[in-house]
Amino acid sequence: MHTLVLALDGAWQVLLAGLILGAGLPVLFALGIRSLAYGAGGDAEVSHARPHRIGTVVGYALFAVVILGVLLGLTYIVASGMGKTISFEHLYPTIANK
Amino acid sequence: MTQATVILALVVITALGFDFTNGFHDTANAMATSIATKALRPRVAVALSGTLNLVGAFLSVEVALTVTNAVVRIQNANGAPRESLTADGGEALLLIVLAGLVGGVVWNLATWLLGLPSSSSHALFGGLIGATIAGLGWGGVNWNGNGSKLDGVVGKVILPALLSPVIAGVVATVGTWLIYRVTQGVAKRFTDNGFRWGQIGSASLVSLAHGTNDAQKTMGVITLALIAAGDWTDTKNIPFWVKAACALAIALGTYLGGWRIIRTLGKGLVEIAPPQGLAAESSSAAVILASSHLGFALSTTHVATGSILGSGVGKPGALVRWRVAGRMATAWVITLPSAAVVGAAMWYVGHLIGGLGGAILVFVLLLGFAAFMYQRSRRKPVDHSNVNDEWHEPVPTSVER
Repeated sequence: MHTLVLALDGAWQVLLAGLILGAGLPVLFALGIRSLAYGAGGDAEVSHARPHRIGTVVGYALFAVVILGVLLGLTYIVASGMGKTISFEHLYPTIANK
Repeated sequence: MTQATVILALVVITALGFDFTNGFHDTANAMATSIATKALRPRVAVALSGTLNLVGAFLSVEVALTVTNAVVRIQNANGAPRESLTADGGEALLLIVLAGLVGGVVWNLATWLLGLPSSSSHALFGGLIGATIAGLGWGGVNWNGNGSKLDGVVGKVILPALLSPVIAGVVATVGTWLIYRVTQGVAKRFTDNGFRWGQIGSASLVSLAHGTNDAQKTMGVITLALIAAGDWTDTKNIPFWVKAACALAIALGTYLGGWRIIRTLGKGLVEIAPPQGLAAESSSAAVILASSHLGFALSTTHVATGSILGSGVGKPGALVRWRVAGRMATAWVITLPSAAVVGAAMWYVGHLIGGLGGAILVFVLLLGFAAFMYQRSRRKPVDHSNVNDEWHEPVPTSVER
């Protein structure tokens, strides 16, 4: 019974992190694509509206956030190979010993 | 050359063989969606995944030697083999490891033949559990650890296997649903090109993480065998040739690609469109990395399958073949016990004959199984040319929506 509690405790943390990174980042990516389409206008949108410059800017800004998220994942993979981990205790991620 | 050295060589070869099947069994986890949505051409996808697995495996600088401790008691806490098993030149331990590995390989090949994604770590653990029960009795198995943390067969294998597909599925469902909401009104050609890059990126992360995680297990097992045979003493490091051999074996396996499994995951389960592919792979990458960060052991296969299923649930009106999902779930449930039965049988065979002859017979049996299954697979080959063919379920599909 105790093991089940431990497992569920681990599971909800994974679920939360998964939702933020695994669903949140792709949604930002989708927003980026939406913005780019808004920026490109014409054939990129179903409405064939005029291009809006701001859409392009916002789109690339969103992609930058997504890339930061991917870099965080990469850093974690490399760090864990070295026996290190990423600590979030300062809010921003830092590499720490396991 | 002593008897133990020959047995050790057989263990190493079998372990590398397992690593190889681990690679081609799991190509699908990373690349099935990208191949199905044509974000990558099939051969480019397996080449990319193989390369990233190779890089990932070499990134594992600190390898834990205590892999088997999760499920069986053949090692001490520091990774050294139990003294009671190394008395006769390590043969007792080598036979358990050899039989266990054979159990894992045989099950991996059988599920590949059926095109079912099953967990390679479950197959390995199952084989080891079976061989240990046969060799040391039920007390040799670490069923539940000491209860203070998630450990043992229940805590590290069974519970995560039940929870992980659900977690990944929920994440992918939410992601898919939101992505479709957000990109409404954008021309399909425009989104598909964008999502193509998202898919390639997230699938690459999954491949890299797979290389670091899964190749380590075999490195740990081989080093354990080396220590048992007295050819290595350092429990803090592993020999470089072991790392290089494991990295190459898993990368080569990944590159060859388990096309049958890729086909089931990419075409059989859900009809996947690029936005779903992105949601599924991102969910897999995030769940795998988050769980490994939190020390929650899960299988890449279960996560990837849950994600792909979730991407079908999250898209309104998408076709999800629950019958295929049911077959996979069945395979997952029986993976551990089946590999255990093979592992135990192999141990008895090896023990009955005894010594070098026993180990050789076990190895020959493995080669026989492998050749038989390869032969069977040639009857209906699946490769890069037909991996994306239309999926025809043999039974009526009307009730499966």
